[in-house]
Amino acid sequence: MPKKISEKSLKKAFLTWFFWNGCSQQAESMLGMAFAQTMAPAINDLYGDSKEETSKALKRHLTLFNTEQQVGAICPGIACALEEQRANGLVSDETINSVKVALIGPTSAIGDSMWVATIIPILLTIAMAITKSAGSLGWLGPVIYMIAYPVGTFFLSNFMFKLGYKSGLEGISKFMESGRLDLITESLSILGLIVIGALTASYVSVPFPVQITSIEGGNVLVNFESLLNGIFPKLLPLILTLVVYRLFGKKKWSPMLIMGLILVLAAVLTGLGYIFGVY
Amino acid sequence: MSIFQAVLVALFVYLGSIGSIVGNTIGWYNLGRPLVASFIVGLILGNVPLALELGLLLQLAYLGSVTPGGAMAWDLSYASYIGIAGALVFATDFATAQGFVWIFAGIGGAIGVAMWNLSYALNIFLNRIAQKGADEANPKKMFLANVVGGQTIGFVLRFVPALIILLTISATGGTNVADYIPTWLTQGLTIFGGMMAALGMGILLSFLVKKKVHFAIFMFGFILMAYFSAQITVLAVAVIASIIAFIYYTIVDGQKKQLGGNR
Repeated sequence: MPKKISEKSLKKAFLTWFFWNGCSQQAESMLGMAFAQTMAPAINDLYGDSKEETSKALKRHLTLFNTEQQVGAICPGIACALEEQRANGLVSDETINSVKVALIGPTSAIGDSMWVATIIPILLTIAMAITKSAGSLGWLGPVIYMIAYPVGTFFLSNFMFKLGYKSGLEGISKFMESGRLDLITESLSILGLIVIGALTASYVSVPFPVQITSIEGGNVLVNFESLLNGIFPKLLPLILTLVVYRLFGKKKWSPMLIMGLILVLAAVLTGLGYIFGVY
Repeated sequence: MSIFQAVLVALFVYLGSIGSIVGNTIGWYNLGRPLVASFIVGLILGNVPLALELGLLLQLAYLGSVTPGGAMAWDLSYASYIGIAGALVFATDFATAQGFVWIFAGIGGAIGVAMWNLSYALNIFLNRIAQKGADEANPKKMFLANVVGGQTIGFVLRFVPALIILLTISATGGTNVADYIPTWLTQGLTIFGGMMAALGMGILLSFLVKKKVHFAIFMFGFILMAYFSAQITVLAVAVIASIIAFIYYTIVDGQKKQLGGNR
């Protein structure tokens, strides 16, 4: 009779991952301890009768691991499927180790770009729009987000975990080879990019408080901000955003350093505003 | 702010921080977002409308502040809860509060990053407990290391400093500090807040842009909003974007099927 992980243990594994994946993040093994704890019920089912095998299995999963944890719930799912196959003598330890390492990159990239960088800003934008326009019912915005995001993500993570377990390594590699994953990622990137473009135009603001006034009456002759916006609306916010992109993405500046730069720029612009009498 | 209120706010600083006991989906990505935090602080301190206005302000600036790959930029939970609670203690109208919110969010965020880095280092010791558990073939020690150990460190590093800051704020509150804040500072901080939104957007862009054509797609969204801001909302753009993404998916998927047969 082949060894199998019980339904109950799979449920327990998923819930452990969902709630406690980030409990003990650190520089040495990142999510390693959380991963081992997630695998513990499955390991108990498969190797419970052998101390040596249990110890080896726990060590296998205490190694360095990282992913975007919500979409990345597929990783412990795949690991459960692999451990099950290993217990039945179908795959080797090395396969499990190398598959786990191979999963880190793509699952992080997909999770970050589709869930964290696209869904969260969109949902928050909806929530903000509700708060802004609902007047005395403004609390509806955060309340809707507080329900929609965790509940939606719970179902997504659960789906990903089960998908990983059911399809196992073969299913996942077939899926990746078919190019469908790239296509889904690309489509979601298009959605994300357009929305981020719109958000940049509506929420980033960079003033240009420079004007020329007539000497006697103090009438404003030329206001450079309106002039600039007449030629290309929101040009300065666009430039600032692209500069941040370049500094963070290409030059590898830390966000703290970029924040410092923005603070200096803001101080300069405020100064300009007072010199030219805009403020 | 009473001691009880300060304890409650500090508790939420911990719950909303990365890797708290309720998980990142309910904590960091939910309780830790400024809009949600403002609602909770508003409830605790009894001024939801003003808190929400401040929450909108912070949420706009930090919309793109997600934490990919553990690269901690700014502890949003600390910044939001301390920022909004501090502003509510010192001000009762939006005009004064918006200066305070940036000052306190700055203090909170900076201390929060320090605490995150500290926990990132301290948690390394827990690996020894987990390794020992693996040697003994004892799965229970995984729970001990990951949850009990990780959360003790996490709780102490979030709750305690947050409570100290909040009690300090509440002790100095009530004095007319607001009168001494010059208008140029409030003006400068407001400009800074508007520009800060670029930080989040730039970071998000760096995750999404993989080819040159992606800039064109980004510009499409930007131009739609920049030129037609009077007629269109971000939500409408999101709907248009979903339609375009769906059409793209269908067309490319169709082409693939034609080329490669049914794989």
